[in-house]
Amino acid sequence: MVQNLVKRYGDFTAINGVSFSIKEDEIFGIIGPNGAGKTTTVECISGLRTPDSGSISIYGLSPQRDRNKIREFVGVQLQESSMPPRLKAREAVKLFASFYPNPMDPDALLETLGMTQVKNSIFKNLSGGQKQRLSIALALVGNPKVAILDELTTGLDPEARRETWSLIESIRDRGVTVILVTHFMDEAERLCDRLALINHGKLAVLDTPEAIAALAGGNRVRFVPSQPVDDKTLHAIPGLTGIERKERYITVTGTGDLAASVINSLAGIGVHVSEIEARRGNLDDAFVKLTRDDPADAPGGAEP
Amino acid sequence: MTSVPSKSKGKGSRGHFSALLKVEAKLALRTPIGLGGGLGITTALLAIFGLIGVASPGNVAGTDLTIIDLYVPTLMAISFTFLGIYSLPYTTVRYREMGWLRRVSLTPESPSRLLAAQAIINLVVALAAILILVFGSELIFGASLHANIPYFALSIILSIAELFSLGLIVAAVVPTQQIFSAVSGVLMFLSFFLSGLWVQPSQVGGIVATTMNYSPPGAAVGALLSSAFDSAPSYTSIATMVVYTAIFAFIATRYFRWE
Repeated sequence: MVQNLVKRYGDFTAINGVSFSIKEDEIFGIIGPNGAGKTTTVECISGLRTPDSGSISIYGLSPQRDRNKIREFVGVQLQESSMPPRLKAREAVKLFASFYPNPMDPDALLETLGMTQVKNSIFKNLSGGQKQRLSIALALVGNPKVAILDELTTGLDPEARRETWSLIESIRDRGVTVILVTHFMDEAERLCDRLALINHGKLAVLDTPEAIAALAGGNRVRFVPSQPVDDKTLHAIPGLTGIERKERYITVTGTGDLAASVINSLAGIGVHVSEIEARRGNLDDAFVKLTRDDPADAPGGAEP
Repeated sequence: MTSVPSKSKGKGSRGHFSALLKVEAKLALRTPIGLGGGLGITTALLAIFGLIGVASPGNVAGTDLTIIDLYVPTLMAISFTFLGIYSLPYTTVRYREMGWLRRVSLTPESPSRLLAAQAIINLVVALAAILILVFGSELIFGASLHANIPYFALSIILSIAELFSLGLIVAAVVPTQQIFSAVSGVLMFLSFFLSGLWVQPSQVGGIVATTMNYSPPGAAVGALLSSAFDSAPSYTSIATMVVYTAIFAFIATRYFRWE
């Protein structure tokens, strides 16, 4: 879907050869540090910007050449977008519905979004969360096949975030492909089927949230063995990738159900473990690790 | 991902445009700065020149018209200028600055419709301003217009087309309200001068009068003045307005920016 995308602003190369392909009906997350090129990437996909080279194809159409067709089935929620301050929520949704050939029912959509109470409030009187939900409504009212959502839950309170997440999942379940830009790892972990991590304008990694989390070194298990164990024995444990020793503690890292493997393997040679403490690798760790590394060292792995 | 999603027939574009127009009209009434200003400035200037006319009756030197007679076309051009250069682009520039135009650009809606909706709303106000000027000057201040209706209508249509398309250039390119205040301020001051608000071309003569007559607002005033007093507007003023309208409209559509 996206091939070798390059976008420069003057001398600054915002995106440098990003390629990925998004599957139908998935929630595809784009994560990365500030200034990594996330927003530029989705702006190219939505047709707001024209890439300097590379190609983008959505259902075989180009966002730049086939703007009008693409807009009928791609809904977009922008990172920062205000509305006319005196426009009422319902008027905005009805107006946008009038732009599309086959829109949703504005009132039903507002109800789904929990905005029935405030549908006759003008934009400037809405709370931050309500404005955000209205913005999502405008992205969805045209009944899109693809929804591009940039910084979906920034500025929402925890409850509104969770409601918004459920909404996005229900949209995906209705057969909409969602492209989600976020810098919240919990959001990416919870919502996304696959994640593209963009760093310094390049695709650092593309995989499921679980697989990316495992890149942080995976799970860690710390324990105290009942008798000394040498490294060779430990390396024989399935899934184990690293060993650290500190006083009587041994900390191992690895993938899979590491704690169980450690206990079973050592029990097999008559060693008991105590004070066991296991921690799952998470996306946060992976994110920090992958974006701190020199980009040349980061694992490649662009999918065609 | 190979097939384009199926598309239903959808509604006609007429229903679609009326929805936009309705919303824009409601918004214009909720923040009536431009529209209120357009009618306000028209009424205020009519009162001022009407009272000056009452205070100094008789014909203005070098013409066979009274002050109020002479100024009705000028005030008409001024109210079209205000609506075209201030009120019409005001909303569009605001929409651009707040990112609303950018948002709309991601829908199948086209920018020309957005501008058209603004133009239609201001057109309605321009018609109200014409009624205020014609009936106000006649009924309250005793002006003696005897318009040649077809020519007068033609002159009004061309004046509005020309001054509104000048405003559409401002609407098309100015990025922020701050720049807009400066640009529209300078343009309006110049236009008011060229329409003869401070001095009439007949009073200055020479190169200044020629510049005024061939300027966008001056050509409008010339055509309005002739047709308001039962004569055909000069070909030059008609041609001048047509050429300006074409140039302005071309620039506005060619250089329109969403953000």
